[in-house]
Order: sequence, then C-alpha cells, then structure tokens
Amino acid sequence: MEETQITPSLSVRSWSSISTQDQSSISTQDQSSTAGQASSTGPQPSKPSVIPPPVKSKGPSSGAGVRRMRRIIAEDAEWSVAIVPLLTELCIQHIVKNFQNNPILKQLPQSIRKKVLNHLSPDLPLAVTANLIEDENYWRRCCTQRWPVCHVDEHGGSWKRMFFELHLENLLKHFIPSTTDPEVILNLLPLCRNYVHTIRVDQFLPPVQLPPPLRGGDQSDSGSEGEMEEPATDHYQLGDLVAGLSHLEELDLVYGVKDCGMNFEWNLFLFTYRDCHSLAAAVKACHTLKIFRLTRSKVDDDKARILICSLLDHAALEELDLSHNLIGDRGARAAAKLLGHSRLRVLNLANNQVRAPGAQSLAHALAHNSDLVSLNLRLNCIEDEGGQALAHALQTNKCLTTLHLGGNELSEPTATLLSQVLSINTTLTSINLSCNRIGPDGGKQLLEGMSDNKTLLEFDLRLSDIAQESEYLIGQALCANREAARQRALSPSHFMSPATAKGPENPAG
Amino acid sequence: MNPPGSLGVLEEKEEEHLATPVLGPSIHSDNPQERIQARRLRIAARLEARRREALGEYLDGKESEEDQSKSYKQKEESRLKLAKLLLCGTELVTNIQVAADIREIHRRVEEEEIKRQRLEKLENEVKTSQDKFEEITMKWEEGKQKRIPQELWEMLNAQQVHCAGLIEDKNKLISELQQELKAKDDQYVKDLKKQSGDICLLLERMEEQKAFEVEREELLTNNKKKWEQALQAHNAKELEYLMNRIKKVEDHEKQLNKQRIWDCEEYNTIKIKLEQDVQILEQQLQQMKATYQLNQEKLEYNFQVLKKRDEESTVIKSQQKRKINCLHDVLNNLRSKYNKQVKQFQEENQSLTSDYKRLVMQFKEMQKAMRHFALIDDKQFREIWLMNEEEVKDLISRAFDVDRIIHTHHLGLPWTAPDFWFLKNVGPISQQQQKSATQILEEVLMEAEEEGAEEAASEPESYLDLPKQVSAKTTRKILMLLCDESGFLVERKLLSLLLPLDKSECYLLKLDAIFSALGIESEDDLYKLVNFFLKYQAHHSPPSQERTSLVSPLEKLDPQGEKEGSLVDREPQEKQPPPSPQLIHPNDVLKILEAFVTGLRKPRDFRAPVKLLKVVRDDSKDSAYWKALTTVIPATTLNLWDALYTALEKYHLVLTQRAELLIENSSLERQNTELQQLLQQYLDSKINSELQVPPTEVFRVPTK
Repeated sequence: MEETQITPSLSVRSWSSISTQDQSSISTQDQSSTAGQASSTGPQPSKPSVIPPPVKSKGPSSGAGVRRMRRIIAEDAEWSVAIVPLLTELCIQHIVKNFQNNPILKQLPQSIRKKVLNHLSPDLPLAVTANLIEDENYWRRCCTQRWPVCHVDEHGGSWKRMFFELHLENLLKHFIPSTTDPEVILNLLPLCRNYVHTIRVDQFLPPVQLPPPLRGGDQSDSGSEGEMEEPATDHYQLGDLVAGLSHLEELDLVYGVKDCGMNFEWNLFLFTYRDCHSLAAAVKACHTLKIFRLTRSKVDDDKARILICSLLDHAALEELDLSHNLIGDRGARAAAKLLGHSRLRVLNLANNQVRAPGAQSLAHALAHNSDLVSLNLRLNCIEDEGGQALAHALQTNKCLTTLHLGGNELSEPTATLLSQVLSINTTLTSINLSCNRIGPDGGKQLLEGMSDNKTLLEFDLRLSDIAQESEYLIGQALCANREAARQRALSPSHFMSPATAKGPENPAG
Repeated sequence: MNPPGSLGVLEEKEEEHLATPVLGPSIHSDNPQERIQARRLRIAARLEARRREALGEYLDGKESEEDQSKSYKQKEESRLKLAKLLLCGTELVTNIQVAADIREIHRRVEEEEIKRQRLEKLENEVKTSQDKFEEITMKWEEGKQKRIPQELWEMLNAQQVHCAGLIEDKNKLISELQQELKAKDDQYVKDLKKQSGDICLLLERMEEQKAFEVEREELLTNNKKKWEQALQAHNAKELEYLMNRIKKVEDHEKQLNKQRIWDCEEYNTIKIKLEQDVQILEQQLQQMKATYQLNQEKLEYNFQVLKKRDEESTVIKSQQKRKINCLHDVLNNLRSKYNKQVKQFQEENQSLTSDYKRLVMQFKEMQKAMRHFALIDDKQFREIWLMNEEEVKDLISRAFDVDRIIHTHHLGLPWTAPDFWFLKNVGPISQQQQKSATQILEEVLMEAEEEGAEEAASEPESYLDLPKQVSAKTTRKILMLLCDESGFLVERKLLSLLLPLDKSECYLLKLDAIFSALGIESEDDLYKLVNFFLKYQAHHSPPSQERTSLVSPLEKLDPQGEKEGSLVDREPQEKQPPPSPQLIHPNDVLKILEAFVTGLRKPRDFRAPVKLLKVVRDDSKDSAYWKALTTVIPATTLNLWDALYTALEKYHLVLTQRAELLIENSSLERQNTELQQLLQQYLDSKINSELQVPPTEVFRVPTK
C-alpha cells in the first residue's frame, strides 16, 4: 500500500502547481488510475504535441477527451492556437526521432535542450545516453518506467545514479556463471563507472549444470536441478567490475539465492574459498570503498580472516558488516586486529558465534581505539567474561556511542561493571542489553550507574529479568537525558532540533 | 503570469497547511461558468494572500504575543506526546524482534544441550559397536583355526547374529536420528510458521502506526477546517475594516483635492515671484561674474607676485640655510674655543689661586715683617727721638747755660730757668691709636693661631686693653659664635669664594663682611660689641638703651680726651669678671645683635671726624713739640742776644784786629828771626867763602 502511494505523488508533482486541489487527496483518489498511467504518461506528451497540433496537454488523460472539445485551456503554458507547428518544434521532433543515430544535445541552446530531453524516449540505448545526458528528469523517467518502486533517497538523491545502480544490480542478480556472458556486465562498465557508488546484491546465482538456460526468477527453480555438482559452485567474480568503478563506496553482498521455495539445496548457499579470495582481492583493490557488507553468506572464521586480512590498513573503509554469518572467536580476533589497523567507525558482528575469547580480543582493541562509534554483537554468546572485558574497555574508550550486546547470555557481573562505566563514560548514547539474564540486582546496579549519567539516550533492557521498578526509573533518567540533549541541540541552532530529536529514537536493530 | 501565480498558490497552501480540498468550484470542471468562478476565486485568494502578507506582520505580532504561551504549551505537549508515541511504537515493533531473539537464544541453548547429549550418545554407541566389532573380528581369527565345518558353521551363524545385532543397533540409531531430524523439521516448519506469524504481527503493528498517521491526517484536516473557519471570520472582519478604510480614504481624497487646488494657486504665485527673483539673481550673477573676473585677474597677479616672492624666499631660505650652516660651524668652533678657554682659564685660575695663596702667604709674612719693622721703627724712632731730644735738651741746657752766663756774667742780671712742660717730656709723644675692627679681629685670630707660642705678653702694646675688659679667648669665642650665627649677613658670592680658603681666613672674611654689614668699624666698636654680649649675658635682659647710654659717653670721651683719654678712662670701666661665652645661647645672638645695632646707630655720626683727627694730630703734636723746643729761648732774649752779639762782634772785631796785629807782629818777628837765621846760614855756608863777594857781607851791613 505505502510503496504504491509514493509513485503517484512524485509523478503528480508536475501538475500539482496547476491544480488547487489538495495533493494528498489526489493521490488517494486517483491512486489507481495514476499508478497505471505513470508509465504511459511518459511517452505520451511527445505524441499529442505532434499529431493534434492545437490541443496540447500534459494533464491526466481521463479528462483528455473533454479537453479536446475546449478551444482555450488557460492553464497550459504551452497551449497555442497556431495550427501549423513552429519550425523549432519540428526540428526538435526530428532530433528526438533520430537521437539514437545522431545524438545532438550539447550544441543546442538551453531552452531547446530541455524540450528535447523532455521528449526523449527512456528506451534509448545506454551507450548513447549514459555519458551524454545529465538531466535528472530524463533519468527519472527511465527509472519510473523500469521499476515501480523508486527510493531515490537511497541512491544519494540522484536518479541517474539510481538508474545505473539498479541496472547493474539487476544484471548481477541474474548473472549465471559459465552461462551468462561476462561481457554483458563488462560492456556496461565504461558507461556506468562514473555513476555507480553503491552495489547492493542480495543474491548470487550458482552456475547451472543443466542445459536449459533460463532467465530471471525462473533461474532459481532450475538451479535446484544441478544439485549433484558440488565443486563448481563459484559465483560471479566481482574483481573486474569493482576495479572498474571509480566511485564505488558501498558494497552490500549476500551470497545466497532468494525465493528458492521448495527447491532448497544447501549448495545454493555456498560461499566458496575462491569466491572469498576473489572478493577479498576486489575489496582490497577498491580504495574508495567506505562500507562493506557481507551478510547471510555462511562466512566462517577462515573466510572472515581472509576478508579482514585484505581489509587491513584500508584507507577509506568506515563500516564493516558481517552479521548473520558463522564467525567465531578467531574471526572476532581478526576483526579486533582490524580495529587497530583501520579507521573503522561501525562494526557489525550480529548473529555470529563469537564467544568470550573473541569478545575479549575485541574489548582489548576497543580500549585503545579512537575511531569506532558503533559496535554490534547481537545474538552472539560472549557471556559474562566477554561482557566484563568490554565494560573494562569502555572505561578507557572515549569514542564509542552505540553498543549492542543483546542476546549474549550476560548476567549480573557484567551489569555491575557496566554501571561503573555508565557513571564515568560521557560518550555512550545507546546501549542495548536486551535478552540477557541481568536479574533484579543487576538492574538495580544499572539504575545506580544511570543516576550519574547525563549522556545516555537509549538503554534497551527488555526481557532481561530486571525489576519493573528499576526499568521504569531507568526510562525516566533516559527521558531526562533526551530532553537535555534536545535542549543542547536547540541552543546552538533551532534548525538542528528535529533531526537530533528524532535521530536517537530510531531503534538500532 | 502563470508560474509566479502558481507559486503563490503553493505558498499559500503551505501557509494554510493544505486547506480544505474540494469545496469550491474546480477549474477542471466542464462547466465554463464554474471554471470562471473557480478562477475568480483563485484570483481573490491570491489577492488576499498578498494583502495578508502586507498586513501580516502586525497582525501576526498581536496574535503571536497572545497565543505564544498557549501554542508553545500545546506544541510542547504534542511534542512530548509524539515522542512518547514514537518510542512506544518502536518498542512495540522491536518487541517482536527481541522476543524472536530470546526464542532463538533459548533454542540455541537447548540445541547445544541436545547436541552435546547426542554426541555423547553417539560416542557411547561408537565405543560399544567398536567393542562388538572387535569381538567379531576376533572370532574371525578363531574361525580360521576351526577345521570342523559344523563348528565353523555354528560360528558363522553366531557371527551373523552378532553382525545383525550390530547392524540393528546402528539402524536403530539411524532411525532415532532420523526421527529427531523429522522432529526438527517439524519444529523448523513450526518455527517458520511462527516467524511468518511474527512478521505478520510486525506488519500489523506497523500498519497500526500507519493508521495512526491516517488519524493524524484526519486530525490535521479537522484542524484545518477550524482554521479555515477562523480565517473566514477573520476575513469578514478584515472586509469590514477595509470598507471603513475605503471610506476614510475617500474622505482623505476629497481633502487632498481641495488641498491640491489650493496648492496649485499658491504654486503659481510663488512661481511668478520666484521667476522675478531669478531675474534679479541673474543680474546679480552677471555682476558677480564681472567682479569675479576682476578678482580673478587680481588674484592671478597676486599669485604671480606671491610666486616670485616664494621663489625669492626660497633663495633667501637657502641662503639662510647656508648661513645657518656656516654659523653652526662657527658656533662649533667657538664652542671648542670656549671649551679650550674654559680649560685654560681654569688652569689659569688654579695657578692664580695658587699665586694668590702664595701672595697671601707672602703678604702675611710681609705683614709680619712689617709689624716687626714697625716695632723696630718704633724703637728706632724712639731712640732717635730720645737721641734728638737729648741733643735738643743738651742744646737747650747749653743755651740756658749760655743765657744764664750772658745774664749773670755779661749783663749782670739774675737768671731764672724757664719751666716748660715739654722740657720734662721724655720719649716720643705716644698717642694711643685706634685700630680698625678688622685689625683687631686679625690679631685676635692670629693670636688663636699662634696660641701658646706667642703669648699676648709678647706684644703688650696691641692688647693693652684686652685684659682689662675681656680675655682674648672669650672675644674669640664670641666672634666665632657671631660668625656662625649671622651667616645671613654675608653675601652669597662671598661664601662661594670662601669655600676653598682656610678656616681662619674664612672666619676672618666672614666676620669682616658681618661687621661691615653691622657697621662696626673700629676697635672700640668691636669691644663694645663684645662687652655688649657679655653684659647682655650678665643681665640677661638689660634694656638696650641703657647700654648704649653707658657706651656712648665712652665713645664721646675718646675724641676729646686727646692724649690721656683713651688709656686712662677705660681702666675703671669693667671690673666684673667676664662671664664665660658658653653661656650665651646661640639663639640669643640675633636678639643681642639687633639690640646692639639699634644702639650703635646713634654714635655713628661722630665716627668720621674722629678718624681724621687721629692722623693729623700725630704730626702737629710732634712739630709743635719740636717747635716749642726751638722756641725755648724767647725772642726778647734773642734780641738781647743779637744785640749782645753785635756788640760782642764789634768787640771781637777789635780783638781780632788786635789779634791780627799781634799775629802780624809775631810773624814779622818770626820773619825777622828767620831772616836772621838765613843770613846766618848764608854767612856760614862755604860758598860764601868761595864767593868773591859773600852776601853776608852785603847783609851784614843792613842787618845788624
């Protein structure tokens, strides 16, 4: 429901200036019709402007028939009574028509260039348009034509970037090693290299042994048939692609297959050593990479070590997310080493198999670290030993703001130490200790620690066996802290207030 | 036209927070009338918006002041409410995740436990099966040794049974595990279902929140409606105000028109007046221009002159500068010369001062010598005097004798010796001389210097009077005191000059200056002063008049007393012992001085003639004395003597004549004799004999 609502509101904006009606009411009323027309309105304007010369309208086609009866439409700026179109119009039409063969854009004056861009078809080959057209409107049309749901905010607010990123993602998602021609992707490289900043791929298909080469979603069905072939399950090697993208900043990968349904096979979800090595090399070679996410990909200790080894002393890396894998203490130790050899700001090891030793090594690294802002160890099993080590580290650390230790079998001793940390530390703003066995006494101690703290804004203690009274009191203290933080944010400039007021309330899950 | 309008509309909408949607006519309507209506409304809305913008400020100001606290409260309340809602909402949603997490943890723990048990079980199983297997393999060894087929068969059977048992065990295990697996599968399916249920719940909750959003929107629309109504009311009021305003404006316009007409008339009159003024001013301007021209020429001429002068002055300036430089050089030279001269003069001065010192020394010596010589001279004078006097007295006595002889013997008269005062006088007529005060001072101080060696006794004459009155020491002390206390009487220049000199000289010169200032000139004055001091001390407060009266007769006596006065009169004057000068307090000195000076002023007039007489008298006395001596024989006697003398001379002449005659006679006698002797001789001589005619013969004849 919600996703469909956004599209019309975006497409409607073009005529919202004309209508005096409420925008939201239109989106709710005409939602069904506009959603359907969104794709059709794009190409439409080029045609009516050419064929029926007197009547020119960008308005909804529902009233087009009636409009045609009217001689004067005061609301249309481009409306004219002239029967024969102007020569410039004709020229523009011609340029648009032959754009594929003879792209003329840069030579045109600004106003005409705009008209041409408005009439260009989004189906033009990328080889022509990619490096020529910068106009966001055109790329918006391309995006809205191809994908029903477009979150342009997730792509830095640039439609062109969004188009290429989604396009590349689409290709990668459906790439079948040894079946699909790698040139398909590599040919795109020169076109998209300047626009792609992010690669988010949530499925990598394994090679197929059976002859029928199918495309798209059907592929996953056919993949089940190749169950006997175990050795050749390497996925697409990202090395060449990553090396070619000069602005790549984010890499978000899941080595797995989506929507396999009852065709589930274990080897559909294999992240092989070769994959691992090639990915490590690719990541190492990409010096602009800031965010690296590899989740739900069965990364075990060895693979994690290989990857982290390649990330040591990486110049730009700021966030590493290896959640939902099989990383144990050795992998955690490698991650701890990485903390000392990079400027990592966010480390996410949620839902792995880190135990006390791993947590201890992480704590050791954390004690001397001054870059890390957020550490997530949710759903591991670091237990009290690891928790105590981390608490000790936090006594010296002056940088960490967010710590997630949910579901780590922690109990009272950790709470005792953490309460001491709370009274000293002035940087932590969010702690999550949910799903631990802290107990009523631990809760009281945490409450004591909280009484001296003025900076903590969030403290999740759900399902951690602490007394309701102390939980309530902690909540009160947090409220006071939040109010103080809001006042602090308000005092320098009130423009900051909404961001800071709402910011910390977003759950860090 | 269109784009800004549409923008305005948009803005307006934003202002009104998306006003009521479809209330009025739509411009998309098919009915042209309705469209026109819609447009009119739109234009009205725009105008309204603009007007409101113009008026907005102060209206807003009023309203905001009233509503601020209220709206602020409301805002704060809703903010807190929203924050709470947000927190609760997120908590509600994440609760599901947390619950899933904890289930997962429990599952993991259980799983671990089960896994451990299973592993244990499997290990046990492996052990037992290994044992069994070993047993079986052992039996195979046994079986090889068996020769009897029956036994072998038996054994094989047994082995078979054993193997079957083993296999059965394994199968059992496998089936167990498979059952577990199946259970797990079921569990998994259940979990999946549960998770999907969770997700559904999650979605539901999210939806609920969305519903809240819808509610909020409804609320917003309601509020907007209210807002709209309020606005309409407001607009009506505005309209009313506007009408009032329009009326007022009309009134004003009428007034303005009146004013305008009046102004126009005034303007015309003023214009005429001003034009006349302008003409006059133009004439004046022409005149001014002419004068300006003249002035300009004059000024130009002046400018030229000034320029010339400036040039000249620059030339002069340069000359003066050169001169200044020259003069500077000269000045420098002069300065150096001056410095040189200063040095030279200093040197000279030093040499001169040394010369001066030397000369002073010499002078002192000279004085000493002079004193010495004076003494000697005195002595000599006295001796000579005495000698001459003796001689004179001798002569006088001879003359008296002669007179007496003449009187008694020649005249036969009685003779009495004349009695004159000067005849009794022996030695020079010594008049006690008045020394000047400075001299006394000098002497006093000199005495101090030569204390011990030369006592006052050595020169009794100069200090004759001192012991009678006061001792030299007290005098000196008093003088010292005076010198110390009355430094103000000394000129400053003198003081500076005195600095390099000896102490005693210093005192001397200072006292000299003080005395000159006080008017003390003579010795007497000095002694008076000293005595004054002493008396003052003795009486402590004697009236100054008394003292002066006491002193003044003394003073008067001096010049009159001639020969005896000074010496004789003083002796009985001071008999009382002189008090020690220490008793005189320095502070009293000035008082005493003041008294003294007032007293001294009177006798001052007598001073000058006294001094003159002193010098003249000496000679006159002497000459008189000596003249008197010469006239000891009176003129009558001399006349007598002259007469006697002439007579005697006559007598003498006679006598001399007689004597001459006698002498002649005697000489003739002697000649005669001599001639006789000569004749005798001739006669006696042998020559005579030889001569033919001896002379003797010739003479013998005349001679007899």
